[in-house]
Amino acid sequence: MEVGRLPISASQRGKLIAAGYTTLSSFSSLSPSHLARDLKISDNEAAEIMRVASHSHRLDGSAAGCGTVNGAQTAWDMLHEEEMFPRITTSCMDLDNILGGGINCKEVTEIGGVPGIGKTQLGIQLAINVQIPVDYGGLGGKAIYIDTEGSFMVERALQIAEACIEDMSECGGLLRKDFQACQLKMHPNNILENIFYFRVCSYTEQIALINYLDKFISEHKDVKIVIVDSVTFHFRQDFDDMALRTRLLSGMALKLMKLAKDFSLAVVLLNQVTNKYIDGSFQLTLALGDSWSHSCTNRVILYWNGNERYAYIDKSPSLRSASAPYSVTSKGIRNSASNCKRIKMM
Amino acid sequence: MAPLKSLEQDYPILDSNFQSFCASHDIFSVEDLLLHDLYVLAAFAEQESSSERLKQGITQVLSIIDGKHQPWLNGMELLEDAQRNKHVLSSGCEGIDLLLHGGLRVGQLTELVGPSSSGKTQVCLLAASNVAKKHIGSVVYLDTGNSFSPQRVTHFICQHSDPAIDQAKHRTLQKVMNNISCKSVFDIFTMFDVLHQLEFNLRSQMQGGDCKMQLLIVDSVSSMVTPILGGSGSQGHALMISAGYLLKKLAHEHNIAVLVTNHTVGGDGGISKPALGESWKSIPHVRLLLSREHGGSICNVSILKHPSMAVGKAARFMIHN
Repeated sequence: MEVGRLPISASQRGKLIAAGYTTLSSFSSLSPSHLARDLKISDNEAAEIMRVASHSHRLDGSAAGCGTVNGAQTAWDMLHEEEMFPRITTSCMDLDNILGGGINCKEVTEIGGVPGIGKTQLGIQLAINVQIPVDYGGLGGKAIYIDTEGSFMVERALQIAEACIEDMSECGGLLRKDFQACQLKMHPNNILENIFYFRVCSYTEQIALINYLDKFISEHKDVKIVIVDSVTFHFRQDFDDMALRTRLLSGMALKLMKLAKDFSLAVVLLNQVTNKYIDGSFQLTLALGDSWSHSCTNRVILYWNGNERYAYIDKSPSLRSASAPYSVTSKGIRNSASNCKRIKMM
Repeated sequence: MAPLKSLEQDYPILDSNFQSFCASHDIFSVEDLLLHDLYVLAAFAEQESSSERLKQGITQVLSIIDGKHQPWLNGMELLEDAQRNKHVLSSGCEGIDLLLHGGLRVGQLTELVGPSSSGKTQVCLLAASNVAKKHIGSVVYLDTGNSFSPQRVTHFICQHSDPAIDQAKHRTLQKVMNNISCKSVFDIFTMFDVLHQLEFNLRSQMQGGDCKMQLLIVDSVSSMVTPILGGSGSQGHALMISAGYLLKKLAHEHNIAVLVTNHTVGGDGGISKPALGESWKSIPHVRLLLSREHGGSICNVSILKHPSMAVGKAARFMIHN
C-alpha cells in the first residue's frame, strides 16, 4: 500500500484509502480540485497531498549512478571532509587527547555524571571555546545554550571568558613575533554576546525549541555548537506515560542528529545519573533509560575517583575506551593538578 | 487498486455504463469487486441489455488484478536460484563467520541486537569494509546516528593488507572506499524514499560491471521506528512492517545481503529484550545477540533466530583497536 508511506496525517490517509486511492499512481494524474471533491477536503489540502505525492514519485523515477543513492557520499569523500572540520577543545589537554582532539562537529555527544562533577562548567567552557578565532586553532563560531535547570551563571561565564582571553594572549605572544599585527580584539563582552541563551521550563517547550532550532540556525549560520543542560530534567519527574516519553525522546534525538549533520555543528547533551540494578548489584548509569542510550554518537561519563574528577569514554564509533583526569578551577576546566597525568587505557 | 473510474482512461471497456452497473451493486473500486460474489454479479449482468460488454468488463478487471501478483516458482527454480545467486559474504569478523557457517547470506535480512556500546556499529563497519575490499561489491550504509566513521573503515581495510608500496596502497584504499556510500537518514519516510529509489536503480541497471551492490546496512532501524511506534493508531506499526518487507524484498530480488541493527529495552523481571516488539521478531531471517563486558574488548555473539541453526549457539570475537 504505497499511500501508507506518504508523510501525511492519519485522517488524510484514511480519507484517501476510503475513497479507493491506495497507490500513488492512482491519483497522481488527477487535478487537485477533483481530488478535493472526492475526499471532501479543501482545495489547499488536496494540493498539499498532490505535492507530497509527486515529490515521492519524482524520487522514484530519477536515475542516479549504478546502485547509488541520491545524496549519498562515498567513504573516501567523507574521510577527507573530516579533516576540514577542527574539533572544539575543552581546555584540558588530557580530556582533548582521549576525545581525539576535542568535541567533534557533526556528532551528538552525551556527557553525564553525578551532581557537582562539573557538567555545567564543561558546558559553559565549550560555549566559550567554540568562539576561539580560527587563527588560534578554534572554530570562530557562536554557541546556543539551552538551559532547563537554571544552572547557567553569567558571572561564571564572564570569569571563564576572561581567563580564555588571557590564555589566548599568552599563546599569541609565544607564537607570533609581530604581536602588534594580530592584536587580539576580543573582549569578554563580545564572547558573551555570541552565546544565544534559551531557558525552557517544561518538556513541551523543550521539544518546541528543538523544532524551532532548524529555522534559527539557518538564520544564524555561524552557530557551531548547541548545548542542552540538561536534557533529562523535564522528562524525569511526573511523566505518567512512559511509552510517550520514549517516543518523544527518540524523536528529539533524531532531530538533534539531523541538526548536527545538516549544519555541521556539534551537539552536546548533558545528562543526569540514576541507579540501575544490573547483574545483581546497583550501578550508576545515565538517566532516561535504555532507548535513550542509543540516541547519541559518543558518550562520556564523568565520575569521582578518590578526590579527583575523571572522564571516561563509554561509547564511540571511532575512539577507544579511555579515561582521563580533569579539574575545575577558577579559570574553567583545566588539566588536573596531580602528579601522575598518565592517560589510563581500559 | 484504484477506483473504477480512474481505470477508464487506460481500459475503455470500463465505461460509464459498466461503472453505473457496478455502482448499483455497491462496487466503486477494484477492491470492492474482489469482495463481491462474482457468479452473482455475472448472473445480474446477464439480465442487463449490454450483458456481453459488462461480462468483458468484469474479465478485464480480473486480468488487471492477475497482473499484480508475483510469478509462481517451483522448488527446482528456487534451488537453482539459491545455488547460483545466493552466496555467502564474509563479515570480516571470524567469530561471526564461524557461527554462521561463512557469514552473511545474500538474500537474507540479518539483525544485530545488543545493548548500548556492545559493538553493533563496529561489526557493521567491519562488514562494510570487508565486503568492499574482498568481494569487490558496493555497499550502501544508511546511518541514523552519525556513527559512520571513515577512519575506522580505513583502519579495517589497511589491517590485513600486504606491506606494499605506499602509492599502490593509497590507490587501492581509494578504490575500496569509493565502493562504500553512506547516507544519513533521520526518519522513516526518508528511508522509504531511499529504498524505493534504490529498488528503481537496481531494476534498471544492467547486470555486470564492478559496482554491483552486495550489502545494505541500516544502522539503526530501531531509532527510526521508535518515535512512531505505539500511541494511538497503528500507522507506526504498519510502517515498521512495510519497511521490513521492503528490505527483505530488496534482498531476495536483487541478491543483496541486508544487515540491520536494533537496540534492547528492559523486559519483565529486568531482563533486557530486543526493541520493536513481537511483530518485528518474525521479520529478520537471522537474529544475533551481541554483548560486551564493561570495558572489555571481547564481544559475545549468540543466535536468537536462524532458519537452519539451533538457537543459543554462541561465539566470541575481539574488536581490534
